[in-house]
Order: sequence, then C-alpha cells, then structure tokens
Amino acid sequence: MTGQLHAARRAAQRAARRTRIARAAALMMVGLVVAGGSMPKASADGFQRISGEGSSWAANAIDAMRVNVRQFGITVDYNPSGSTAGRKNFLNGTVDFAASDIPFQFKPEDGSAPEKPAPGSYAYMPVTAGGTAFMYNLLINGKRVTNLRLSGENATKIFTGAITSWNDPAIQADNPGLTMPARTIVPVVRSDGSGSSAQFTKWMIAKYPALWTDYCNRSGRAPACGETSFYPTIAGMIAQSGDLGIAGYVSQGFAEGAIGYVNYSYALGSQFPVAKVLNAAGYYTEPTPQNVAVSLLKAQINTNESDPTVYLTQQLEGVYADTDPRSYQLSSYSYLILPTTVAGQFNLDKGKTLGAFAYYAMCQAQQQSASLGYSPMPLNLVQASFDQIRKIPGVVVQDIDISACKNPAFAADGTNLLADTAPQPLACDQQGLATQCPNGTGGLSNIPTAVSGGTVAGGGTTATTLPGAGSGAGTGTGTGAGSGAGTGTATGTDAGTGSGTPTTVAGVAVADTGAAGQGCDADTGLCGAGDAASAGGVASADGSGAIGAVLTTTLAQSSGWGASIGLLLLIVVLVLALILTPALAWRYFSNRQLA
Amino acid sequence: MTVDVVAVDVVAVDVMTVIPEPIDAAAPAPQPRTLSARRGRGDRIFYRGASFSGLIVLAIMVMVGLFLAIEATQALRSTGLSFLTTAEWQPDRNKFGIAAVLLGTVLIALVAGLIAVPIAMGTALFITEVAPTWIRSSLVALVDLMAAVPSVVYGLWGLFFLQGQIVGLSRWLNTWFSWIPFLDVARADPNSPLSSASVYTASAFIAGVVVAMMVMPISCVVMREVFSQVPSGEREGAFALGSTRWGMIRVVSLPFGRGGIIGGTMLGLGRALGETIAVLLIISPRFDINFHVLEAGGNSVSSLIALRYSESSGFGLSALMAAGLALFAVTLVVNFTASWFVARSRSGASSEA
Repeated sequence: MTGQLHAARRAAQRAARRTRIARAAALMMVGLVVAGGSMPKASADGFQRISGEGSSWAANAIDAMRVNVRQFGITVDYNPSGSTAGRKNFLNGTVDFAASDIPFQFKPEDGSAPEKPAPGSYAYMPVTAGGTAFMYNLLINGKRVTNLRLSGENATKIFTGAITSWNDPAIQADNPGLTMPARTIVPVVRSDGSGSSAQFTKWMIAKYPALWTDYCNRSGRAPACGETSFYPTIAGMIAQSGDLGIAGYVSQGFAEGAIGYVNYSYALGSQFPVAKVLNAAGYYTEPTPQNVAVSLLKAQINTNESDPTVYLTQQLEGVYADTDPRSYQLSSYSYLILPTTVAGQFNLDKGKTLGAFAYYAMCQAQQQSASLGYSPMPLNLVQASFDQIRKIPGVVVQDIDISACKNPAFAADGTNLLADTAPQPLACDQQGLATQCPNGTGGLSNIPTAVSGGTVAGGGTTATTLPGAGSGAGTGTGTGAGSGAGTGTATGTDAGTGSGTPTTVAGVAVADTGAAGQGCDADTGLCGAGDAASAGGVASADGSGAIGAVLTTTLAQSSGWGASIGLLLLIVVLVLALILTPALAWRYFSNRQLA
Repeated sequence: MTVDVVAVDVVAVDVMTVIPEPIDAAAPAPQPRTLSARRGRGDRIFYRGASFSGLIVLAIMVMVGLFLAIEATQALRSTGLSFLTTAEWQPDRNKFGIAAVLLGTVLIALVAGLIAVPIAMGTALFITEVAPTWIRSSLVALVDLMAAVPSVVYGLWGLFFLQGQIVGLSRWLNTWFSWIPFLDVARADPNSPLSSASVYTASAFIAGVVVAMMVMPISCVVMREVFSQVPSGEREGAFALGSTRWGMIRVVSLPFGRGGIIGGTMLGLGRALGETIAVLLIISPRFDINFHVLEAGGNSVSSLIALRYSESSGFGLSALMAAGLALFAVTLVVNFTASWFVARSRSGASSEA
C-alpha cells in the first residue's frame, strides 16, 4: 500500500521534473532562435570585431574613425598604449593591426632589442598627419600665457635640462613681448615606449647633436645615444604614460611651469596653448593642420614598392630644413601597420573588416581630421594606401574614384589643397622683432596674451599687461615709446622680502605723462613701468607712457619657524579650547554637584 | 558500494562486541581504545574535495613561483647578484636591477600602511564598540564597498583630483619637517613663491595615500572581525568594574585583538606592495635610489612590470619576471609573517584551532 503510494508520488515528481526540464529546454530554444534571428543582422556584411593597438599620438584621429565606422556595423577596438606596445603586440599576434609613428625598429639606435617581423607579413599605411606640439602651462601675473615662442634650440635645451627656468635669457629672447617669470621649467616626457619620443629625439639629434649627446651622457644612457622610443629622464623631469598622461599632467593647476610634447590634438582637447616653434625661414609657427600639410610636402616618402620594410616610410630631414615660412618642423605622418598574411587570430573576415575600415580612414574620415587637429592625407599617399589595402587578405577591394573620396586635402590638380590655401604667418611671428604676436595658440587660440614692446624701435620697456590690455597693446606702445618709456621710479614693495605674512604688492600709479609709476610683480620679481591712470591695467586713452603694469599680487607663502607659526599655534590652542571647554566645564560642575 | 555496507556493519559489530565485555584479571592490561570512524560517502567526498582544494592552492602558488623562477633565470644568470644592487633598468643593455624599484615599492607600501592602519583601526573600533547598532551594518557595507571599488578608479581619482589637493600638504610637510631626511625634497625651495609645485607631484607619498585608500578596507575587515570576537564576558566585566568605554577598549579589546591588528596591517601591506594600476597612473617612474617620499618620481615593481610588459620581449621580459619574482618573495614573507602573528595571538589562536 505504502509502496504503491511512494511509487505514485515518485512518478508524479518525475513527471513534474520532466515538464520543468522540457520547459527550460523550450525556453532555451526560444532564446537560441531569438539570438540566431538577430545574429545574421549584425554580421550581414561579414564584418568581425577587430582590435588594434599603438600610437597615442594618432589616437584621437583613430578614435574618431572608430566611432564613425560603427554605423556600418564595423566594430574596431583601439588601445592607445604607445607605438612600441602596438608593434610588439602586432608581432605577438594579439592585435589585428597596429598604429605606430615609426616603422619597425630593425636596428634600434638606443640599445633596445631589435624587432623582427616576418618578411612580407605586414604593410605600412600612412593614416594621419600631425604636429608634435609643446603644450605648456605658464602664467604671468596670474594670466595664462597663450603666445609662447621657442626656437628649436631652446626647446631642445628645455627637454635636455640645459635650461631650467622660464626667465632664461635665451627664452626671453624668443619672447620679447613677454616678461618671462622666474619659474622652474618642468619638462613632462613619456614614460612608455612612444613613437613621438622617437620622432622628437630624432629631430633633436639631427639638429642639435651636441646638446643631445651631452644629455644622453648625463642621463646614463650613453653610449647608446641614438633615436629612442624610451625618453631618458633626469631629476626634475616628470614622466607620464601616453599623450593623455602628459596632457593631463600639464593641464593640472599645480603644474604651472610644465611643458610637455604631445600631438597638437591633445592641446586642442585640453584647451591649452602650444608653443610656436621657430622654423628655418625665421618664423615661429604653430602645428595647425595647414602648416603641417605645408611642412610634409618636404617629407620624403620611400617609393620603393619592392621593399615592404621601407615602402611608404618617411624621411623628415627635408621637413626640418624647410624654408617655407609656414612650415612646422616637428610634423610627421603616423602609420597603420596592416597584416598581409592570415596568421593566428587574424582571418579573412577580419581582413574584410580591416579593409573596409582602412578605406573609410583614407577618405571620409579625413574630413574630420582638421577639426581634431590632424592634417588630412595628401592625394599621392591616399593612392599609395589604396594599393597597400589590397594586400590585406580577405579585403573587398573598392575601386574608389578619387574625386568621390571626399578628402578635403585634394585639389583638382592633385596638389594638397590644404597646403595651397595655408595662410602665411603673421608679420609679428617673425624672429628678431621687438615684439611678438598676441594671438593665442592651440586650444586657446581665441584668447590673446597682451604683449609689450612695439614694432617701432625703442622698446626698452618690459612691461607686462593685465587682462583687458590686449587691444591697447599695439597703439599704446607705438606712441608711448617716444614720450617717456623707461623713466619709472620704483615705489612698489620688493617681492623678495617675504616677511612671513601675506604681503600685498601694488604698483603705484601716477596719472602723469612723464612720471610713470613702477609696480613690481611678485611672480616675476621684475618691475615694470606702470601707467597711473590704468588702475585695472588698461592702457590709458592718451597713450602716454608705457602700458600699465599695475599689479595686485598676493604672496602665497613664506617659510621658517617665524611669526606665522606662533599664529598657527594660537589658532590650534583656540580651536582646542573651543572644543574642550564645554566638556571640561560640564565635568567640573557635575563633580561639584556630587561633592 | 556493497563493500561500504559491509565495513559499516563490521564497525557496528565491533562496537556491539567490545563494550559489554567484562574486565577480567587474566586479560592484558587495558589499552585505550583506538578511535576510528569510518567515513560515509558524503564525508569522504567532502574530505577529498576540501583537501584537494587546499592542495590546489598550494600547487598554484608553487607553480607561480616556479614559473617566475624559470622565466627569470635567463636575466638573473646574466646579472648575478648585481640584480639586487643595481638601480637602473635597461635590460637590453644588461644594466638592470631592483634596488630602486624595490625600495620604491616598500616606500609606497609604508606610506600606505602609516595612513591606512590608524584609519582602519579607528573604523574597526568604531563599528564594533562605539557605533549605535542601527548604523553598524551600513558602515560595514560602506567599508566593503570601498574594497570593491576598482583600483583604476582610485588611480584616476588620485591623478586628477587628489594630486592637486594634496600638493599643499606635501609642501607644508617639506617646509616644516625637511630636517627629517626622508621628508626633504631636493629641488624644492619653500622660500620662493615661484617654486614649482611640480616637485611635490607624482611622488611616492601621493601614490601611497591612494594605495592607503585601497588597503584600509582590507585591514579594517580583519580588525573588525577580531574585535567582534572579544569575549563579551570580559567586556562586560570591564564595564562592571567601572571602566569607561575607552578603558574597556584599552584593557580588553586592544590586547585581545593584537594579533588581528598586526595581521590586518601585514595583509594590507601585502596588498599595498602589489598595487599596480593606481601607482602606474600617479607616479613618474625614475630609476635611482630615492628615499625622499615627497619628491617627484618613484617606482614600484608592479607598476614597472605593467609599464614595460607590453613593450618588452625576450630578455627584457625575463628581467621583468625576475623583478616579479622578487616581489613575489617579499609578499610571501610579509604574508607569512602576518599569519604567524595572527596564529600566535589569542584571538587568532582561537579562530585557527
């Protein structure tokens, strides 16, 4: 009886279990069908997810391309971990393509291990062009400088530790219109293996070999002093990982005085200025897309198609020596390294995807380049790249009519439109004048920095101006130089006498043509001729005298176990008393009550 | 299957036969009966499974160590003992060692420990002894949440927020205490209003503060666990004798939890030694012996590996493995010391037994 009951119950349970399993299976089937139904849609064109790694210099351009090809069902992952890491992982087969600013290093000059790609397994494709910019964080009188100029030699000296202060006479000579502050220069370099470090060191070695060799010896790198992806550092330098790391560091508030080398696009992105660099024509230029396009006309592209190890690689010596007044010396191309054989995780489907991505990168994507701070590829390189793309296994070859390529750099006659239309530099950007352009650069191109010293000879006044003086700078100096420049009397307090308490230094201003007051800047330690009427630092309407430099600066801090520590201790005691008195009083009174 | 049944039966028979047997003089001197219990199937599966897991952990550790040792041989053989004394890191030129890197690692860990341990201890005591009951569980959850935050988040927070805020503290420490050797900053000039704040950034100190945020919850969990085991009899006894809450903590909780405090500290240190991404983001790598924790630049083994791993091949990789082996050894020593302290302490002994 019981046995029968048990059996019946067990059977019922079994049946229930069976229905549960069946239900689960049915659900799974439905799930599979649903998933299967949506799957062909995603891969309708046979695109497979591909991954790339490498240059952080070119990363902003590549990222924009990645985002844009998503609409075609192409998914590209990109890790901007540096050119060296990109090439290494391409060789390891862990990524499908690499992006690198420099070709494979068969004979590295810095003593690092040579890279050995299998012959015929890769092809270079120039993907974007740009300038390596010197992004800096510098204030004068609490106002951001946006028009700094540097000669190539001074830039080299900064990054080799030969110049350590912003008011070095050599830098002052580059910037006659600015009163350079006595702030320490903090060079910010790349800590990871980077193609921009390689390009930058190559440029320094080509132009200033003595400076570089000296630095190489001091940094303990000797005797392997060639072009290097791993920037050697000395004390006082900050090393950060990636362009983003450098830009991130330089743009922090505490990094006043810092200067780093990044792609121009990062300065635009972080809204920071870049230094204009002196070119062979004697003009200080900025790596705008137009200037880069002009400069790269002089880049020698290797056209030996039979040798894939060098085909399409760049020789930049011509750029360094370019005498076009618009050229920017640190312009270069960045490359995609495409696989040309099926190996490892790279298959024909991925080749198809990579091919479609590369075609897009060469044409439509170049439209965006200029707004990002990169320069579009010129016609000859785009055509050569089309041939390189054909070498990708699995690629669906597109016969792109070059006029339909929508690349903004193409002019009707095959020249580089961008270079043709690039504006000449302003006259005030020329070397050797008594002043410089006030125009902002990089990410702060809309914010000018007031300058002093007119184009008319007779400068002598090294006055700095405060906000609002920008427009008045030209006229003020022009007329002022004649009447009474340089006849100031020092009435301000010297900033150097730190008495321990915050000191306010204010320039005394007298509203007279002849007697210009002199205000001393706590920041620079320099005293400038101040015009009295301009309480806010605005140049006076009558144009007499030099531009006002009325300064109201608060000294930040002083040091030593001086009077301030006494105040500090007093405050501590007072705060403690405030906290403890109620408790102690309460205890005292309650004890008395008990007693 | 059947064998099992038989065995159980035999035991049962034994029990049946042995116990009622009368003691008689002729029999040999009474021996203590050896206790043996046949385990059932579930017991055996559990026993085997558990011991297998335990052995697996041991095996994994041994294999990691062996792997590192084998991979590192190439590099170690070419440098020999100078690996321990060289500060530079240029493996491609056969000039590399862990002197600077290991020192940097230890400095960061020490800074992290100095900051994290008092906070962890205070938090643990607050949660177990002081906080009202209704707030305890949410506090515990909060501390656990801190442990769950990914370290890259801490790194970014440290890089973009904390660094800017803490520079003032670094400067203050350097200004007033630069006579303590390791708080000196070589290139800082506190007297100059123009001196760059950059000399205080990207330092071991800032990296240590960020790592402390990651270490704190781990140490706190261990300490809280121990403090919560304080026998309530002793605790109430202390109160009954008229002790204040602080007095009770001082004479009961702290002595009881000493092992846990030390153990938690050491476990935290172990974590701090291995912290990678946050350090990598913040620190500016440099390769010289530098004791000045406030000064810009420093290094740690794990951040060195993370930085150079993707760029090295062959010999360079072997050198990184050697550095990893050194870190592995140091961490093992720290953790073993920790467990030794925990086991020796009163609270630890009761939980280990």
